Amino acid sequence: MSSDVIIATHDLNLWYNSTHALQSVSMQVKKNNVTALIGPSGCGKSTLLRCFNRLNDLIDHVRVTGEITLDSENIHRPGTDVVSLRKRVGMVFQKPNPFPKSIYENVAYGPRVHGVRDTKELDRIVEESLRHAALWDEVKDRLSDSALSLSGGQQQRLCIARTLAVGPEVILMDEPCSALDPIATAKIENLIDLLKKEYTVIIVTHNMQQAARVSDYTGFMYLGKLIECGKTSQIFEHPNEELTENYITGRFG
Amino acid sequence: MAEKFHTELDNVKNETVVMARFGRAMLRDAVDALVRQDPDLAEGVVARKDEIHTMEVRLEEDCYHLIATGQPMAKDMRTIVCTLKVIAASHRIGRYGKVIAKIVQEISDKPHIARMMSIPHMADLAIGMIDDAIEAYEKDSLRQIAEFPARDDTIDALRHSIFREGITHMMEDPKTITRCTHYIMVARYLERCADHACKIAENVHYMETGERVEIH
Repeated sequence: MSSDVIIATHDLNLWYNSTHALQSVSMQVKKNNVTALIGPSGCGKSTLLRCFNRLNDLIDHVRVTGEITLDSENIHRPGTDVVSLRKRVGMVFQKPNPFPKSIYENVAYGPRVHGVRDTKELDRIVEESLRHAALWDEVKDRLSDSALSLSGGQQQRLCIARTLAVGPEVILMDEPCSALDPIATAKIENLIDLLKKEYTVIIVTHNMQQAARVSDYTGFMYLGKLIECGKTSQIFEHPNEELTENYITGRFG
Repeated sequence: MAEKFHTELDNVKNETVVMARFGRAMLRDAVDALVRQDPDLAEGVVARKDEIHTMEVRLEEDCYHLIATGQPMAKDMRTIVCTLKVIAASHRIGRYGKVIAKIVQEISDKPHIARMMSIPHMADLAIGMIDDAIEAYEKDSLRQIAEFPARDDTIDALRHSIFREGITHMMEDPKTITRCTHYIMVARYLERCADHACKIAENVHYMETGERVEIH
């Protein structure tokens, strides 16, 4: 496997009870790139995303077969520290979900859980994370205000800062802009473009134009299968599969 | 919304075919006017230049509207790109018809020299390529344009032949210079029209396959 691949799946299958939600998915995610997963509702894209940090483990009656590797190590091997895995593979959700605490505490929470106690070090992490999330200039004078006082777009960037604070390698984003207005969406999209310099981003989106704008690679999923995955320009300009063509030209979905 | 977009795209495509055949008819009528030395027919071609310009502007704007509102992807995007090229090529073909019609108005008072060499034959071949390029675009088909490289080579050879023959006539009799120069120019315009047919063919190929080809 080439060294620029950070996450790879091989013949990945997932069942919710008897529902075969992911069917033999094999894909590779390249480091320091943005990979978008698109497809109609219920095609398995969020399920696949949640496999990458084993968030599906929290759901009853889920069974997984096949292999997922992070830096060539199988994340399902016995003895895997799931907390450590989720530190390396952070996640941002559809709706902003800040803790009902101050802006500062939202960002400092993760590092504290992972053992950082030094106040100066926490201050540094908070500032750096907020800067990386393009939020610092907007909140630096009110770090002790409640995070709930921020706008929806700011709350989502705070959640991204919270994810960055524990030093992840991969950031999973599940429809991160679907609850935001177009201006807040544009800010998050610009941020995603900046983040890929230091992190690998995998984003699930319903919005094909967003996938086309922000991603380097795109995977199209349909009924639990990864139909096609390739460079975003190729997928949107001349996809190889007729299903992909029909979906992205709006003929179904 | 996707259904509405595709209906609008189909309409633009159908109207582009109408425009392409309008441009092709201008060229056909101009060549016929030249062969028959018919200044009235030539005048009718010249009069159509404003109409084809109006068609060009309106269809281009329809394409821009589809891009702005539909944010097309994949074959839809390629179809709109191809359509814009077909519009431009059809406009140029119509304009060459107008230029040839203007020549007819200048030289229709005297008999032709050497039966215009191979111009009528060359015109038939060039217009045949235009017809096939339009049909390929209309029917999303590559069959009609499969032989275009060889057909374009024939057109180039005919232009060269007309050029050499024209020079020969001019050297033999300087009184033929004006008419032979016009013939050489007409051959050049017909060659350019065949090149536009090749451009349409290249774009139809891209529209259908997503791959770029170059037809020389």
